[in-house]
This record gives sequence, structure tokens and C-alpha cells, in this order.
Amino acid sequence: MANDDNYPVESDRRRFVKGVVGGSVLSGLLTTGAAGVTLSTKPSGGGGGAMDYFGAVRELGPAPRGLPQIPIEIDDEGYLQGLWPEPETVEEGGVEYQVSRTEIDIGGGESVTYSTEWFQYCGLQTFEGIRPDAEGQDEYLRYDDPLPTADYPWLEEVTAGNQMHVDDFENYEDWGNNVGDAGVGQPAAGTWRSQDVSPESKIPILVIRSTRIEEMAQDDEWIAQTCPEGFIAFVNKCTHFCCVPGYKKLSEASNYNAENKIYCNCHQSVYDPFDIAQQQLISLPRPEGDE
Amino acid sequence: MSDNDSQQSEPATDGSGPGIVAPDDEVPSWRERKERTTGLSRLTYEYFERARREDQDLRQESSYVERDVLGFPAWPHETIRNLAISSFFIGMLLFLAATMPPTLEDAANPAVTPEIILPDWYLYWSFGLLKLGPINPELSILGGDKIMSDELYGVLANAVVFGAIAIVPFLNKGSARRPVEQPFWAAIGVGGVMFAFTTSVVAVQNLAPIDPNITFDLAFLLPLVAATITYAVLKTMREGYMYDLNRRYYRLRPPR
Repeated sequence: MANDDNYPVESDRRRFVKGVVGGSVLSGLLTTGAAGVTLSTKPSGGGGGAMDYFGAVRELGPAPRGLPQIPIEIDDEGYLQGLWPEPETVEEGGVEYQVSRTEIDIGGGESVTYSTEWFQYCGLQTFEGIRPDAEGQDEYLRYDDPLPTADYPWLEEVTAGNQMHVDDFENYEDWGNNVGDAGVGQPAAGTWRSQDVSPESKIPILVIRSTRIEEMAQDDEWIAQTCPEGFIAFVNKCTHFCCVPGYKKLSEASNYNAENKIYCNCHQSVYDPFDIAQQQLISLPRPEGDE
Repeated sequence: MSDNDSQQSEPATDGSGPGIVAPDDEVPSWRERKERTTGLSRLTYEYFERARREDQDLRQESSYVERDVLGFPAWPHETIRNLAISSFFIGMLLFLAATMPPTLEDAANPAVTPEIILPDWYLYWSFGLLKLGPINPELSILGGDKIMSDELYGVLANAVVFGAIAIVPFLNKGSARRPVEQPFWAAIGVGGVMFAFTTSVVAVQNLAPIDPNITFDLAFLLPLVAATITYAVLKTMREGYMYDLNRRYYRLRPPR
């Protein structure tokens, strides 16, 4: 008996049914998979991508790259501004979005494309202030509110939340605190393009005025263009896990020879603010609905 | 005579002289003892078996009649006991809730990094393993590049630790219950505990008042030292332990 077991007899009809069922299951899986891949790889908004930027070189620790630098301009009254070029609309892949970018001439016929997309990492890309055409945000660098006077006692002389002024930093040639050496640089912690926003979405910045920057500006055209009067500014977000590192803030930094450098105490990343180099980052797109 | 008496009142454990406890049929002969190779586990088994049989004999001799009852009734016995236990724990909860201040604080502000930022203490060892970057080898075949990122290396180190812990029961299937019985494996255990401690120190290296490089080297040296010392000490203790065990055994059941 050919049909002793309990399985149905193999027949043309049965083969046909098997083919139909198997084929539809397979196509269903393929469609779902393709839709899933499309969905998960679709750009969620405009801007971003791989680009070159200038920043403080990472010296030690798990951080993947350096801390991005903010080019500084000083206005007629002596207030510090972070360069924020006029926003323009570009179209890429059928998506229209705003960018703030400009060419900075670094001599010898070469130029650097500065874009505020440099700062689209670590969730900063979702901050109101990072939008090129953000309402009510200007370029001025402002002091933190409240001021970190425990770390930088000189900040007792300034008003919290005020714009940073060149004259506030007049002691930069010999300023020092209990961390590291005196005369390396006078720091201030502050915010940028973060007025009237909640504390957790303020863009933290670090401004240092130093004679070393003035010396570097003599042979480095990029420094000369972006760091007037010895001022240099960074977006103060560790590129590793987005903590806020500190310059001359914690004495434990000397364990890593970082007492005169930018030190992140979460995972001991060290950035050298006096070693600026071109690096690469994958800038993240700003979320949709921002434009 | 008195000399003789005092000698006899103490059981001879060296096999010489007449024993106080009369040997019965169960007591193994010297030859049987020599043939025994299973050691301590067998010995333990014999002790337990003997105790069980004595209990059984006692029960059989007793006049107590066992009733055919499987447990206590749910009411009132079990209920009252359960109520007492639950009241105790509910009371503890209320007491702790009343005495301790509420711990919920403001949401973390990502724009500020606290001065001391660490995971919970019982995760320090794992956090320390994530800082093994300095021993992530740079391969010359890759032109001095690392084969994997320091992060991946640290995560894999965690996997290695978990793997090692999981594999130990398969490597050592012995029945030892005291470190002195297997000094080697005891030394491995002490080394592991020491490694957990030293990697914890590596995790807090930036706060420890030691140079981070020294901390890092000690993290691997100290477990080795601890394991070696443990092995040496246990090996030395073994002799005395065996002697003690044998003395007790032969005092209880002197050889024929």
C-alpha cells in the first residue's frame, strides 16, 4: 500500500496548492523586508552627511574625533559672535532644507567650507538653536546662567547670561586657577543660540582666550581667520557620549596629562584646544518638520 | 593498673592497641580502606547513610503512631502564619517609606556633567573592563591598526568573563565543598574575585589617588599574586586538614 502513512497522496493539485501558498509567503516576506529596509534607511530630514570640519584634536580616550570649533567674529562693540552664515535653501534628493554655510579663505587659493552642520551630532541636531533660521536666536556667545564660578572664579566679575565681551578676558595672559598652569588660557563656559529655551536644549560652548592661540594664528591661516585676538570657541559636547567636558575644571585631569587641556571625566577623553586640525564627521540630519 | 586504665580510656587512633568502640561488620578493614579511591565524597556518603539508618531504627523502635496527614490545614494554621508573614513585610515597606525621604529628583540635564559620574558600584567591574583599551593589540599586519575598536574590545572582554564563569562547572566536575580539598580551583576562584575588585578600581581610576598606569598594571598582577598565595596556603593547610579528618574518622570507627 503506497498510502500507509497518514500523509495525503502527492498529486498535481496538491503540488499546485503548495506552489501558490509557498510563493505568496515568499513574496510577502520579501515585500515586508524591502519596506522595512526602505523605512529604516529613509533620511528623516534635511542636512547632514559626511563632511570635513576643524576642531580640537582628540588626544586620549574613547572619543572618536575632536571637538568641533566655532569660528569667532568680534563685532564693533567688542562682543564675541559665533559665525552663523546667512541661511539658504538647498534641494537634495527631492528634499528641500536650509543650510548655513560659507567659504572661509585660508590663503594659497584654498578655502574651507564652514557649515553649521558641523554641530549636528549628539542630539544637538534636534535643538532649536541649530536650525539655520531659528527664530529669535542670534550669533552672540553668552555666559552660562548660573555661572560656574567655583571652577572659574574670574566669572564673578561678569553677569550671568550676558554677552561675552573682549574686555572681560583682559587677564588672559596670566590667568590661572587651582588646576594646571597659569597663563595657558582664560576660559569661560557659555551658551550659543540658546536664548529662552529649556536648560537641556541649550548649546554648551567653551571659549578660551590664550596667547598660544595668538601664536598659532601667525602661521595658521585658518586660526587667523577664525580666532581673532586669541579667542577660540568650541561646542562643548564630548563626541563620545555627549557629556560636557571641562577645561581646567577637575584636578583629576592631571592623571591623564590633561590639566591644561579639555578633559571629559565620564570616560577620560582628552582634547587639546591648542592643536586644531581638519577632521571628518558624519553630521546627523535635523528631524523633519523643523524646516 | 591505674596506668593501664588511663591508657584504655582514650581510644587509640593509630591502629595500635585495643579500641574502645567495638568494631562491627560494617567497619572496613585496612585493605578496604586502601582500595577506596573516591575519597571525601564517599566518606561523606557513609556518614550520612549511617545517620539515616540510625534515625530509621529509632523510628521503628518508637511507640509514636504516624498519622496519615500530608500537611497543616489551610485554616487556621496556614492562614494565620501567612497573615503574620505578609503583615511583617507590609509593615517593613510602610516603615521604610515613612522614614526615608522621597528620592525622585529633577530630570537629568544633559547640558551639565556631574563631577563624579559612575555606574552603580556593583557594575564597576564591568565598567572597568570597558577601559581595557591599552591592551587592545595594534597589529603590524594591519599597519599598526587595531583589529577592533576599543569599545568592541571592552564589550568582548565582558563576554569572555561571562564565558569563563559559565565554563568552570564543565571543567571542574569535582564534588569538593571546601577550598582546601581543591587548592587549584580555589585559587582560580580567589583570582577571579580579586580581578573583579581590581577592574572595579580601574573603573574609578580617575578618582583613585594612584597613577592610572599603575592601577592598570596592578589590575592584572594582583589577581595572579592572590591566586598564587591562595594556592600555596591551601596546599599547606591540606596536610593538616587531612590529618584532622582522618583522626575524627578513626576515632569514631577504629580499624579492626
